[in-house]
Amino acid sequence: MNSTLLNNILRFLGLLILQVFLFDEIDFLGFIDPMVYVLFIILFPVENKRWNFIFFAFGLGIILDTFQNTGGAHAAASLTLAFTRPLWLRLVYGESYKMKNIKILQSSVDRVMLLLTLSIILHHLIFFSLVIFNSSQILYILKLTLMVGLASLVVNSILLALFKPKVKV
Amino acid sequence: MQQIINFLIKYRNLLLYLFLLFIALGFTIQSHDYHRNTTIHSTGYLTSSLLNTKSGIYEYFELKDQNNKLSKENARLRMRLLEISDTLLGEESTFIFSDSIPYKVFPARVIKNDFYKTDNYITIDIGTNQGIEPDMGVISHNGIVGVIDRSSDNFSRVISILNSQISLNAQIKGTATIGSLKWDGSDPYVMSLEDVPRLAKVTKGDTIITGRQSTMFPPDILIGVIRDAQLIENGSRYKIEVKLFNDMTDLDYINVIKNRDRMALKVIDTLGTNE
Repeated sequence: MNSTLLNNILRFLGLLILQVFLFDEIDFLGFIDPMVYVLFIILFPVENKRWNFIFFAFGLGIILDTFQNTGGAHAAASLTLAFTRPLWLRLVYGESYKMKNIKILQSSVDRVMLLLTLSIILHHLIFFSLVIFNSSQILYILKLTLMVGLASLVVNSILLALFKPKVKV
Repeated sequence: MQQIINFLIKYRNLLLYLFLLFIALGFTIQSHDYHRNTTIHSTGYLTSSLLNTKSGIYEYFELKDQNNKLSKENARLRMRLLEISDTLLGEESTFIFSDSIPYKVFPARVIKNDFYKTDNYITIDIGTNQGIEPDMGVISHNGIVGVIDRSSDNFSRVISILNSQISLNAQIKGTATIGSLKWDGSDPYVMSLEDVPRLAKVTKGDTIITGRQSTMFPPDILIGVIRDAQLIENGSRYKIEVKLFNDMTDLDYINVIKNRDRMALKVIDTLGTNE
């Protein structure tokens, strides 16, 4: 078993447990529960097969769905984020991101933050649209996306800062 | 043939994505349906035992609060008991614990509670092994909480009253006016009582309780107070805003109520339609 795979499995389980046991209980202002498991999808190694990646994202989502009784909302959101990640990577790191074989964790802070923000907006928008599932409540969906998105962004940045190996700015 | 295979290989990621997305959306739509066939739910073995462990940990942080609530409820029950023994004199007061009561009450603990979605569910730690069945009412010391949706051996899922699919029979205390209680999906402290006729006496501050037509809840269980009322549909009906007594965002110990006569009442109810 190579270390990348082991790392990712640990990250998968770690973020899952952290999400269910800690961050689902935050309830800041009554409804803000930051979503940290998005980090798994963002940090998944770029060079890996997309096939696996999509499956992992779906699996992680569906597990969270069973915990939160959200049907398939987490799954659909993480799946879409995983599928569209090349698009965001191209946007953030430029066309040549594939050649450079980038390691997202070791790239500069502003790039990571940009990637994180874009990913969180997409993920939360899909998630809350599916959870609320009512077109007449678009404002509520946007409010949830904005507020929870901000919380997720802050918490995810803190987690990244805590676990980042040897920062190269 | 070659082209088809080439196509499949070329677009395999897109196809996989669409396939999985289709499944996820299917689950989502299913979860917004008021049916008992949901595939993704929190009463499975692993999920429920994990949630149970978790709420066990969080429980320690709330012990003081719990004690407070329990002692208050104890005091209130003792008051009721004294009241009864006062009117019935002596030994007869124990009748409230006898078999003649058509309701059986099961205590349970909430291990997962939601309130910010449109269709919210609660997971509790008793199930079919303890005698829980679908359609039983769930209350807490402050009022109604929901209705049992599905049960596994040791866990059950409750449809919270904060669920757009639910509609409960309720009445204004002191009158025979009934209406159906619904939630519009925005404020977890407010529900609305609909289909109340124009001629009903509706006063701000009146108490709303469960109606006698409900087979899930005993009558006279508290729900909330009238905060606002307006006539809708050309003034033919009231739509009443009800401020809930129960804080649905803070649930811990609840009671599941089994109505002994539910099946009998249901049979009687359907008699008319079979004719």
